[in-house]
Amino acid sequence: MDVPGQSHTWGIPGPTFLSIFLVIAALLLAGTLVHRAVSFSGRRPENPGRLHPLQVAWLNGGDHLAIYAALGALRVAGALGSQADHRLVQTGPLPAWATRLDWAVYQAAGQGRRSRELIGDPGVRSALTELRAELERAGLALPPTARTAARVGPILLLVLLGVGVLRLVAGIANHKPVGFLLLTLACLAAASIVLLVRVPRGTRAARTALRTLRDQQPHLSPEYLPAYATYGPAATALGIALFGGAVLYALDPVFAAEAEIRRTVASGAHTSTAGSSSGGSGGGDPGDSCGGGCGGGGCGGGGCGG
Amino acid sequence: MTEATGTTYGVGIGWRPEIAGFVAALPGLRFAEVIAESLAPGNPLPPALAALRERQVAVVPHGTRLSLGGAEPVDPARVRHFAQVTELLGAPLASEHIAFVRAGGMEAGHLLPLPRTREAVDAMVANVNRVQAELAVPLALEPIAAIFDWPDDELDEAQFITEILDRTGALLLLDVANVYANARNRGTDPVALLDRLPLERIGYVHVAGGATRDGIYHDTHTDPVPDAVLDLVTELCARHRPPAVLLERDGHYPPAAALRGELDAIAEASGFPLIT
Repeated sequence: MDVPGQSHTWGIPGPTFLSIFLVIAALLLAGTLVHRAVSFSGRRPENPGRLHPLQVAWLNGGDHLAIYAALGALRVAGALGSQADHRLVQTGPLPAWATRLDWAVYQAAGQGRRSRELIGDPGVRSALTELRAELERAGLALPPTARTAARVGPILLLVLLGVGVLRLVAGIANHKPVGFLLLTLACLAAASIVLLVRVPRGTRAARTALRTLRDQQPHLSPEYLPAYATYGPAATALGIALFGGAVLYALDPVFAAEAEIRRTVASGAHTSTAGSSSGGSGGGDPGDSCGGGCGGGGCGGGGCGG
Repeated sequence: MTEATGTTYGVGIGWRPEIAGFVAALPGLRFAEVIAESLAPGNPLPPALAALRERQVAVVPHGTRLSLGGAEPVDPARVRHFAQVTELLGAPLASEHIAFVRAGGMEAGHLLPLPRTREAVDAMVANVNRVQAELAVPLALEPIAAIFDWPDDELDEAQFITEILDRTGALLLLDVANVYANARNRGTDPVALLDRLPLERIGYVHVAGGATRDGIYHDTHTDPVPDAVLDLVTELCARHRPPAVLLERDGHYPPAAALRGELDAIAEASGFPLIT
């Protein structure tokens, strides 16, 4: 409660400050969400089945999963093996279907690289860059400019958060009630951090395509214990692409262990039996975890904005 | 005496989750089989299996755990499950084995052959009747491979099978690979057995691969189908072509091209159209 004669913090009454603060936060949040909705939408492929398994792998799990999918396909084709010291070896000729990434992985195996070193191999890097560029042109991967732009809103929100924190400190020093401001700041911090961190690598169209592919290929789900030797290299790569690095352990546990494959690289929703799969890993839209709910609430009586 | 149903399905394959994608990609497929115990009637069918049903592929449940040949009455809960799975699949028939898998509460873990006695026939017939009472479609019974004969056998194999079929009205699920294995391991002529079985009662036929180890032929289901088994399919179809001839493969799955080659070889041996 304001005591007559006692000055407002920064000369602005608490409720006034909080109202202005909330309006600015709401505008920034709305702007960020609208921007995400527009710039993340992407372009739906006419037929997701035409996507190359390595493209699918990149969309689901980025560079690491694309490399794993290439490793799996080359393994099933008998072109690659591993040794106890974790080095990859060539065990057969390069298959005719090899893409540039397959080729680069195969070449790196010829040089005795370990699988975890592949990501730093110049040939592999350049193949991955090309893969990503193709996906950007197709409207499936977010170009770096879009990813940067998507972070502008959250950064402005964090600046606003900083102003709020200063007000909070000043308000406490001024012995003002700060409950509502504190609550607002907590919600704002959570929303801005989620929006800053969760910038997906693929567009919404890409996520839809991944879901469609999982529904179309239930037999590649690890639940089915797929016979990869029967399905062949392309389907094996697609299995890894849709269901993650753990698939390599189902395919060839000795190879996967020797090649130090990380099971946790992407996973793919294991809900294919239930029908409504819940999208991949790699970050879905955060939705408005806090956007509407927290900003509301009046501030009555004894003031609240510090 | 029940004749097999009039529908002809042609070449089929045992649906296994591991090769569900391969099975789904067979354009001419009209007949498949699924292990009954692998399905839960309370749940929807696995999506890959549901997709086959939508394509009007007949999917037959193949029981392996009912233990119809056991001396004790077949477990009502297992019979109910078997019947529910049959209904869930909308199957035109269901199948089980002439065998037992448990006795006196002990689980053998695999199919064991019955002694070919009158007493065993009586027990088998009683259990088959209990299952038939729950089923809305015909039941087909499959004699199993036996590497040995019981010492107190009263009937020969053909008499034993025919007696059970006659008394139950069940269809015959003839495993040509078993016929081959039994004959080969006993040094008898497999064709001679064909000539003594009621071939017009065949619901469908199993074909599987095997391998010879230490002079004994094993019906492994994990090896390629030998030419001798395919020749026996041809002999059978020359006498009476069954409604369907189904490849059973249970592991060590080969590349798709090899598996398609096996299905094509079965089509050629039986005179059915290619399904690949």
